[in-house]
Parts: sequence; C-alpha cells; structure tokens
Amino acid sequence: MTQFVLAGVLGLLFTIGTFLVLRRDIVRVVWGVTIIAQAANVYLVTMGGLSGTVPIVGHGPPANPGSVTDPLVQALVLTAIVIGFGTTAFALVLTYRVYEEHGTIDLDELGETGGEV
Amino acid sequence: MAAQIVIAPLLVALVTAILTLLLRRFPRAQRAVSLAGALGYAVCVALLAAAVANQSILVYQLSGWRAPFGITLVADALSTFMLVLTAVVSLAAAVFSAGYISEYGQQLSYHTLYHLLVVGVTGSFLTGDIFNLFVWFEVMLLSSYVLVVFYSGPEHTRAALQYTILNLLGSAVMLLAIGGLYSTTGTLNMADMARRLANPAAFGIDPVPVLGLAGLLFAVFALKAGIVPFQFWVPAAYRAAPAPVSAMLAGVTKKVGIYAIIRLYFTVFAAASLPTGLSLPGFSGSSFLAFFGPIMFAMAAASIVLGGVGAVSRTDLDGVLAYSSIGQIGFVVLPLAIAATVPDVRELGIAAALVYALNHGLAKSMLFLASGTVREAVGSVRFEYLGGLARRTPVLSVGFFLGALTLIGIPPLSGFFGKLLVFQTAADAGAVGGQGATLALALALGGAILTVAYFSRAWNEGFWGTQSEAVRTATYSPTLVAVVVALAAALVVVGVGFDPVLRAANAAANAAVDRGTYVENVLPGVSP
Repeated sequence: MTQFVLAGVLGLLFTIGTFLVLRRDIVRVVWGVTIIAQAANVYLVTMGGLSGTVPIVGHGPPANPGSVTDPLVQALVLTAIVIGFGTTAFALVLTYRVYEEHGTIDLDELGETGGEV
Repeated sequence: MAAQIVIAPLLVALVTAILTLLLRRFPRAQRAVSLAGALGYAVCVALLAAAVANQSILVYQLSGWRAPFGITLVADALSTFMLVLTAVVSLAAAVFSAGYISEYGQQLSYHTLYHLLVVGVTGSFLTGDIFNLFVWFEVMLLSSYVLVVFYSGPEHTRAALQYTILNLLGSAVMLLAIGGLYSTTGTLNMADMARRLANPAAFGIDPVPVLGLAGLLFAVFALKAGIVPFQFWVPAAYRAAPAPVSAMLAGVTKKVGIYAIIRLYFTVFAAASLPTGLSLPGFSGSSFLAFFGPIMFAMAAASIVLGGVGAVSRTDLDGVLAYSSIGQIGFVVLPLAIAATVPDVRELGIAAALVYALNHGLAKSMLFLASGTVREAVGSVRFEYLGGLARRTPVLSVGFFLGALTLIGIPPLSGFFGKLLVFQTAADAGAVGGQGATLALALALGGAILTVAYFSRAWNEGFWGTQSEAVRTATYSPTLVAVVVALAAALVVVGVGFDPVLRAANAAANAAVDRGTYVENVLPGVSP
C-alpha cells in the first residue's frame, strides 16, 4: 500500500515541479526546480526499500539482514539535501540580482530587455 | 604508500581555495598563494602521472574503507590524461586571471571560486564511485554558477540564470538516475557495478531498467559537455563569464562530461548485454554501447553542423569561439560514437577522441584568453569595433592565428593529429564494414570546412583590415599576451613532439576498455 501512495505522491511532486518550471515568473521557476529536487530525494529514499525496520544496531527485531531498511540511501539523501539547500539559496539571490539589473522577473520581458555582452 | 599521491592534487587545490579565502585582507599574498597553488597542483599532477605511467593504475581507498563500501579514488591512464590537460589550462588561466580580473574582484572571491572549480574537476576525474561523481559535479557547478555571474551586469545575470536553472534540473535528473542504478544493481562503486553488470543473472539484475537509467544519465553528461540538443546554455554562459573562466569552462569542465561518458559507458555499462529486441532498428551488437553508439553519432553530427553554422554568423569574437566549442565537441564525440558502434576500432576511436579533446582544450582556452586580452585592451570584442589587430599587436595575433590553425587541423600543430585520428577512425570503421563510416567521413570533412570558414571570417574582421580607433589607441598587457603565447607554444610542442602524446592517449584508451584490470585493482581478491 505504502508503495502506491508514495508512487502517487512522487508523480504529483514531479507534475507540480514541471508546471512551475514552465511559468514566466522566475521565483516560481526556482520553486519548481526546488520541488523537482525534493521529489528526486523522496524517490531516492524509496529506493532503499519501504518495509524494513530502523537500521540502528540494537533496535528492532533480532538480526535478520533482510528485514532492515537500507540506510545508505538516507545518507545519500542527506548529502543531496545539503547541496540542494546551497543551490536554492544561490538561485534566490540570483533572482533578486536579476530583478535589480533588469527591473523585472518576468521571463518574457527579460528576453526583450537583454542586449549583447 | 605510493597510493597517497592520488589524493594530492585534490588536497592542494582545496587547501589553496581555503587559504585564498583566509588571505582576503592581504591581496598580494592572496594572489601569490593562488599562483603557487596552481603551480603546486601542476607538480602533483605530474608526479601522479609519472606514478601511473609506472604502475598503470593507482587506487586510494578513502579512510581505509575498502571498496565497494567506502569511497574509492582511482587514477589510471585515462584520469591522468585528463588531469594533465586540467593542470596546463588551469595554470595558464590562473596566471591570466591575476592580471585580468579587477583587484576588488580578486580580493572578494575570485581565487577561492577558481580553485574550488579545479577541486570539482579533479574529483570528477579521480572518483571511482558514482554518487561521489555527483558530489564533485555539484562542487564544480556551484563555483561555476558564481563565476559565470561574476560581473553581475544585465546580460551576465541573465546568462547565469539560464545556466543555473538548467544545471539544477540536470542535477535532479542525475540523482534520479543514480538512485535507480543503486536500486537495480545494488552498488554505487563503478568497478563493482561493472562486475555485477557483466554477470546480471548472478546478482539478480534486470538489464532493461539499467539501460533506461543509463540513458537518463547520458542526458546529464551531454548537458555538461554541451552536445546538441543540450547546447543552448553554452553561448550565453561563455560570453558572460570572465575570459579565464570561459577558458576553463570550454577547455576543462566540458571535458568532464566527455570523461564521464568514456568512463561510465565504455568501462562500466559496456559490461552489460542488451536485452533481446531492444537494439535500435538496423543496428546489431549485444553490448549497451551498440545502443548508445548511434545516439551519440546523431548528437555529434548535429553538434558539428549547428556549431559550425552558428559560428559563421556571429558578430563578436567570443560568440564565434562559443559556437565553435559546440562544433568542436561534436568532433570529440564523433569518434566515440564510431568506437561504440564498431568494436574493431574501439581503442582507436577513444584515443582519437582524447587527442582531439586535448587539442581543443589547449587551443580553445588559448583563444578565449586571446579574446580576453583584446577585450581588456580595446573594451569590446564585437567585430564592428575591431580590425587591424594583426599590425597593432602582432605577437597576440600570431597566437590567435596558431589557435585557429590548430582547430582547422594544419600540420605540424596538435590539431592536425586530432583530425587525422578522427578521419582514420572513420576510415578504419568503413574498412571493416561499420555502419555510417562514410557519413562520418563526410561530416568530419564538412565540419572542417565550416571551421575554415568561421575562423577566416574572424581573422578578416578582427585582425586584418584597417585599424579602428579603439584598436590603435589601446595598450595590450604584456603579461596577458605572454600567457597566450605560452599556450600557443604548447600547441606547437604537442604537435611537433606528438609521439609521447599519442602513446599516452593509447594507454588511456586501453585503460578505458580494460575492465578486468580496473575491477581487479579496485576490488582486490574479487573475481571480475
């Protein structure tokens, strides 16, 4: 059951993310990218298996390797979250800087104002 | 004991980045540390290359955690080939930066970001772990985002926005592909993955999802390398970035995508065999490579044509160079595509791609630095403000001319051998009845003619003709010209003394296809 719910949630997240990335407003585009990155993280967690117990020594039922959730993907996701945090912060600052330079965060207007380097 | 040298270039670049951050209050010391760091990096790479030439492959298990459980750094002939290119270009660009970037910019963040870029590139070339590759890509990209927007003007912020959003999406896709690969193959270590893919039944691997995920990953590498249809960020980003950064982006970080394609597809995924019924219509072959070969071919062909045609119609020097990068990367991928499709010429094709990548890395970074020198002196690189540079600054012009000649492929410069090997790969593939060999020859020829066309135009518009007022009154910095000349000399040296370069490229190509040695060294005691 959990698999189906999570698969549905993942599909929804990717849909929302894609929808937002295709907007004209840069802030929404940044949110869209963030949501897609988070959806990738959720997807990564599901890759470790959903039915196992906590992967902590001394917890859960007696040692049976098959019954423990893979902890590696959770470590990977932590790394990915930290990287995503940094890139989102940068993307938002960049958005503000674009607004300062162009006076707009509408992508269509941005396409018209820019000149050659 | 000797294995510690593998991590040395990484540490030198990282320590340099941190020191330049700490020395912000002392601009002269900061610049000295930055240059010393670039030099130290080159020395470490030279030592590593010598050690690898001796022992063929060096493996360093971080913190002593054995592969496949820990993170492994692997230096073989392929890694060191790319690292030597990085060392040469990054040293030249570092010296150039010290004389080119404004005092305030250097003091603020430039040196730190520059060396972090080198850290990311070095890590990508050395890592033997696919998730670790993602992390190094991010290190490289994060610093390149800031470097692209360094001048923060209207067009720079716009270019950086496009570059950043695209690469953030690329990173999410890469994470998806890596997660899927971990779930299907049960490992993140490249050597372990190759071992498991060679024997999928024993490890319960279904090759169909692996093929799809490998395809997803391929799109990410193509985005990094700027191959059509993922090329659209290239011209804006290269024009917006400061000249030494453009030189690094075009010369080195683009090659990271190429390296990842060679390492993962020719060493790792080549081990898997294609499920029946999934080979592309009209193509035979049971390896994953037989599937990716025709795709690479189409992308390379589109890059050569689009890059060449785009470069002919540009109105500024940087635009010509940026579009030329798209076309030239097509020349790097073309022999790879043939190598993937026709197993008989596999090593030759990879060697051709590597020689071409080396030649393009040196020549294109030199041309971007030459363009930067002109921009610094004249204030613009648009053709309407240029003209008569050849008479005004003959030394710089000779450098630019040599760079153009080597990309066109005139002997005895290094580019001649790159082109020769590409043609030889296509001809040899044709001799053994490989599909598309004639088309490849025609494409390479057409691309070469386009290269002649756009460089002739750039030369006529910028360097010949009557001197514009701006060109006549400008003063050309001797330091910057000296860096350009040094790189131009490197092109001549590589061309004249080509034999050792060819041997290194052949060794690298051999390392790329020799899966057995790779697996045995990374996972000692495990049957490959």
